[in-house]
Amino acid sequence: MSTWESLVMGFSVAAAPSNLLWAFAGVSLGTAVGVLPGIGPALTVALLLPVTLTLAPTSAFIMFAGIYYGAMYGGSTTSILLNTPGESASIATALEGNLMARRGRGAAALSTAALGSFVAGTIATVALTLSAPALVRVALHFGPAEYFALAVLAFTSVSAVLGRSLPKGLFSLFIGLGLGLVGIDPLTGKARFALGVSQLLDGIDVVILVMGLFAVGETFYLAWCSTPGGEDVVRPKGGGGFMGLSREDWSRSWPAWLRGTAIGFPLGVLPAGGAEVPTFLSYMIEKRLAKKPEEFGQGAIEGVAGPEAANNAAAAGVLVPLLTLGLPTSATAAVLLAAFQQYGLRPGPLLFESQPELVWSLIASLYVGNVMLLVLNLPLVGIWVRVLLMPKPLLYGGILVLASLGAYSLNGSIVDVMLLYVIGTLGAALRRFDFPVAPAVLGLILGPLAEQQARRALAISQGDWTVFVTRPISAVVLAAALLALLAPRWFHRRARTD
Amino acid sequence: MLRREGLARVVEVENVSGAAGTIGLARFASAYRGQGDALLVTGLVMLSAIVMNESPVSLAEVTPIARLTGEYEVLVVPAASPFRSLEDLTAALRRDPGAVSFAGGSAGGTDQLLVGLLAREVGVEPAKTNYIAFSGGGDSLAALLGNQVSAGISGLSEYAPHIESGSLRALAISSSDPLPGVGILTFRQQGIDLALANWRGLVAPPGIRGPARDSLVNAIDRLVRTREWQEVLERTGWIDLYLPGDRFGQFLRSEQRRVASVVRDLGSATATGDNEIAEMVFPGIVGVGLLVSGGLLLARRGSEPRAPGNRRALGFVCLGAVADVVLLEPAGFIVASSVLFVCTARGFGSRRWARDTILGLALSTGAYFLFTRALSLSLPAGRLFP
Repeated sequence: MSTWESLVMGFSVAAAPSNLLWAFAGVSLGTAVGVLPGIGPALTVALLLPVTLTLAPTSAFIMFAGIYYGAMYGGSTTSILLNTPGESASIATALEGNLMARRGRGAAALSTAALGSFVAGTIATVALTLSAPALVRVALHFGPAEYFALAVLAFTSVSAVLGRSLPKGLFSLFIGLGLGLVGIDPLTGKARFALGVSQLLDGIDVVILVMGLFAVGETFYLAWCSTPGGEDVVRPKGGGGFMGLSREDWSRSWPAWLRGTAIGFPLGVLPAGGAEVPTFLSYMIEKRLAKKPEEFGQGAIEGVAGPEAANNAAAAGVLVPLLTLGLPTSATAAVLLAAFQQYGLRPGPLLFESQPELVWSLIASLYVGNVMLLVLNLPLVGIWVRVLLMPKPLLYGGILVLASLGAYSLNGSIVDVMLLYVIGTLGAALRRFDFPVAPAVLGLILGPLAEQQARRALAISQGDWTVFVTRPISAVVLAAALLALLAPRWFHRRARTD
Repeated sequence: MLRREGLARVVEVENVSGAAGTIGLARFASAYRGQGDALLVTGLVMLSAIVMNESPVSLAEVTPIARLTGEYEVLVVPAASPFRSLEDLTAALRRDPGAVSFAGGSAGGTDQLLVGLLAREVGVEPAKTNYIAFSGGGDSLAALLGNQVSAGISGLSEYAPHIESGSLRALAISSSDPLPGVGILTFRQQGIDLALANWRGLVAPPGIRGPARDSLVNAIDRLVRTREWQEVLERTGWIDLYLPGDRFGQFLRSEQRRVASVVRDLGSATATGDNEIAEMVFPGIVGVGLLVSGGLLLARRGSEPRAPGNRRALGFVCLGAVADVVLLEPAGFIVASSVLFVCTARGFGSRRWARDTILGLALSTGAYFLFTRALSLSLPAGRLFP
């Protein structure tokens, strides 16, 4: 059967009225749970997995696709409105999105996020449909040396979030790198900096750091430093324009969506990819290419559109290694793999041949889920932004309750709740003294990645450092990283001399 | 299942994650000491984690009940590998141990134990082997399929689809006897005296003796004879490795000795032989970075004066946070979260205690029931209201 025939067959299954209903239920549930601060997509999908188990496999997967996309979009909603990202992939969205919300542009930020997710999700699903097996063959050429190079490239995006002072940005980065060292060194199995606390052996969960630095840190900081009763949030303006975006918003958003998709999908396909690296890279690129770079740091719409598209495209990309090789490359994909196994399915090289109906209806339901998400969420934008009008005492009380709930539910451990507040205090102090917090998160995510991959590469090459430049892909990626650091200066100099 | 077969009336499951189960073990040994109605699932991975992490609690303290299931390890090479047989691989290993890179799961896990045992059997120092630890079966699989490493080790089920499709070549399986229906030669069939199962079993808390222990052993003995249990094994592909009570205890002791000696032999240079970058190089870089950027900051200090900030408001919020941590387990989620809510609201200038308390209670009660009932996630109920 050709790809098209298979896809049409998939659609005929996914578009049955009852299955559309399951898709709708999935998107609603996913969004509803995903908006809770601190509950990211992986946890949402894991929590809702039992709900789908009562259904027939096809309906279950259709609902699942809805939950997956719904949870991701729900996470972006709270990141934008409340600056409380529940996972590392929505931090880049929160950076500019929350600033937009504070200037009364929350509706536009939510709309560009929803539309960007839709555009990226759809394009990425098309790419998944047409080229999954070919993409995987390319991705397998990536070994530890290449991943190290990729981590180096991702580190250059720190330059976009450094803030006004270089030493402060670097200090924040090194704090994150330092926290990333805590726990068992995965290559030797020995504990480092765990201070004898056995709960620290698995390291500091990035979700705790993200919630601590953002949701809790922000709450502590506001209590500490904002004047009581003072209004620093501009009342949300109505969306206006077509689908909540003005003409200018549209013309600034769509190139960012496409660029975000172009970055997100291929990086999502790479085993050991995930969505953090593409979202931050997209943020950096948008900042570099922006016509008004000075708007970054005050709420630039490109800074929401790009990373959000990259996030969704990467999420679809993650499905490529999952379906074709059975490789889960993100936390959410690992949960999806568990779901497959519940139905006795083994994703892998033979899945497309052994279960074509299920695979193609899953792919078709990704399209359906995407449309459903847009249908459900665009009308809700107006309601979501009203969250900002809640009295602050209740809003921030609620945020802390939900953040502590999220932290506790990770491992059922009180140590995580303590860590959340300790990191929250650190986050408040960083804000108070004008340190940017995003570099710390990047450090925690990328530090272990860079270290482990470098050591793996060197172990395989038996200590030969030249692997990083003699392997072609690694060399190209490292050159791109160098370019990302040097090109802006070069452009600036040319602009000045012209 | 225990309940359905009338072997137990109430079954509660508590999941304690972290550090390969050693956190759960420590909690189990202290909180349930002497209680004849609690069981802990343990296995080979926990046994080696105890040695690796120098866990204060070991499996010698608990009461063995039964070994239940397990999975065998399979040694594979990429389809394009020059190694056609186990003999090719062991010959290369003897020639230059560093040149044969093994991909597998986390350091000190079953996969690395097998490498250590194999090296020992073929006369190579385990510490010289080049073991590349990946965070999970998925990552090591990608490295194998991409031909990035010489060989890979994992549980059979993880690699089976790729062995079937021909993208990986299985060289040996770690069972002591050939498995029916699996066309892979064992190590023993190829002249290497090596067998290892990634087993799982049940233990009771320390201090369970006599009838209390016997009744648990008997309950499990009846369980494994049920048809349902056989069906579970069949569905999940687990291999029946049932070994009751005392015989499991003997096995546990000999396995403990074997694991401890291999872990010791794998030694300090665990992962990568002589060529690794020492595990402290990156921490060193980070430390220098912190010092340099901190130094730069100190040099520039003392520019802008700041407003003092609202210490009182921050105090209320911090009080809420401390109360949350202190109250969460003894008083339960609902009480702790309500206190947190009221304190935070006070910190943000609210004076309406009654309204805040009601809203706080409503929010935490709603969240509590949503999570525990609808999403079956455990939150502390508190010891005040049993």
